[in-house]
Amino acid sequence: MSKYLVWFILFAVLAVSPFVGAISLDIMEIFKGDSLQSSIFFDLRIPRVVFAFSAGSILALSGLLFQTLFRNALMTPYTLGISSGAVLGAGLAIKLGLGSLVFGLSAISLFGFMGAILTIFLLIYLAKFLKNSHYESLLLLGIALSLFYTSVLMILFYMGSVMQNDILLRFTMGSLSVIGWTHPITVTIIAFILCFCIYMYRYELQLLNISDESATLRGVNTKKITLILLIVSSFAIGTLVSISGPIGFVGLVVPHIVSKLYPQTINKRIIKTALFGGFFLVFCDTLTRGLQTQSELPIGIITALIGGPFFIYLIITKNK
Amino acid sequence: MIELNSLRCKYYEKIILENISLKIDTHLTVLGSNGSGKSTLAKALCNLIDYEGKISFDGKNIKDMSLKDRAKLISYIPTKLEVYDPYISVEEFVLLSRFAYKNNFFDYSQKDKKIVKNTLEFLKISHLKNHALSSLSSGEAQLILMAGALVQQSKIIILDEPTANLDPHNSKIIAQHIKGLKEYHQVILITHDLHLASFVDSPILFVKDTKTLFYENNFFKDDVLKKLYGVEFDSLAVKYE
Repeated sequence: MSKYLVWFILFAVLAVSPFVGAISLDIMEIFKGDSLQSSIFFDLRIPRVVFAFSAGSILALSGLLFQTLFRNALMTPYTLGISSGAVLGAGLAIKLGLGSLVFGLSAISLFGFMGAILTIFLLIYLAKFLKNSHYESLLLLGIALSLFYTSVLMILFYMGSVMQNDILLRFTMGSLSVIGWTHPITVTIIAFILCFCIYMYRYELQLLNISDESATLRGVNTKKITLILLIVSSFAIGTLVSISGPIGFVGLVVPHIVSKLYPQTINKRIIKTALFGGFFLVFCDTLTRGLQTQSELPIGIITALIGGPFFIYLIITKNK
Repeated sequence: MIELNSLRCKYYEKIILENISLKIDTHLTVLGSNGSGKSTLAKALCNLIDYEGKISFDGKNIKDMSLKDRAKLISYIPTKLEVYDPYISVEEFVLLSRFAYKNNFFDYSQKDKKIVKNTLEFLKISHLKNHALSSLSSGEAQLILMAGALVQQSKIIILDEPTANLDPHNSKIIAQHIKGLKEYHQVILITHDLHLASFVDSPILFVKDTKTLFYENNFFKDDVLKKLYGVEFDSLAVKYE
């Protein structure tokens, strides 16, 4: 029963989400056409909800994917330093003053994307030196990379001008505010592609979630599948983070909650995780807009406030 | 027919098996003390570890086979069932052994599900089908692994110390099933349980000091056992009937 209640609450929040914010909207006004309220609703609020939903799906699915491929509940693009890579890339673009558009993309997005992709390849390369199945060390590598990136970012801050630092600081805190439909549509398409790829390989993932050896013995090319899925999800995460900045812990919290609500094997949890991730991030985003602070609270802070203690809880309960 | 050509396996720098050349065209039981390289041999046969030399089946190098073809040819039953997924059920797990027969990206067929159902019934473990794999006892787990191997319908089944974690009662059940497997599969049994070996009654390959000794049918003699183990056959404990 409780799981239906959870879904109901999340759905209800999704329904009211576009009406929450600094300017309260009146339903009658919205549909009047040319009014200010109407353009806030259709050009800011709705795109934002769509963006948040798709972003949440990508983050949750990537988390589920990483946890399955590495058989470790603490693996996410965020804990592996991939998000930090994107932040550093974006930071470099800001510091170098590359605000202009390159091939229709902002330089910040492009650099952020490169940062994420390069980090995943660096991790794949470094993983070769680890003894098979010692993925805990991979997690430590990710954390080490994260710390390293943060230090480089600190140097950028140190050398940056006030204006650059302001842009950079806002980027590192993560944001879901979008104007118009370009970003929401891009991210939604990516979410669908990611979900599709993971679903295609659901039985391979089911076997990988048993053990590497079991999968190999039953005919799964584990290295190939792992590489394909890692690259697809890194592209998804890279693109997302380059637009929204890092939004941590969704990939950690959501797959865990879904597995508690639905104690089933992985291939039955893929779609549920994608949906729950979407609802969850819309929920968090609605919170940031609902809490009346001076300006809107960055989303990354809310998810980290929830996720940080949760991360500790996972570590403590892991060995039970 | 399994053919090993100057096989050499290392574990880090330590040489485990050296210059092994064999032709195996029948069932085989591999004996040897702990750490002698029995499991290494089994894992090499499944291409799970690196080795030098050549292993071929009916003249075909196993390294040249696709993973799915290899899965259709050999199945491997480990000593212990290790599962990361805490939620997967017995039925779902056994069904995964049909992976090599499944079309890419599609679901398992009704035929695959039927084979699983029949196999679980045959091994008398249908009542476990909805249980979580992680909740099974060692004896049940060993039967589930055997169900997986049967469902995989491979020509060769390799069992790696199947009775190592089992109590005498479950060992007996497993021993009887292994004997039954010999009718339709080429069974390679790795064990240090001498009574299991004598009950299964296959030719013996004894692994010692990186080398192997082959005994067609004269292994269970007191003088042989005395030489290899320093004990007599009747001095050993339980017997399987």
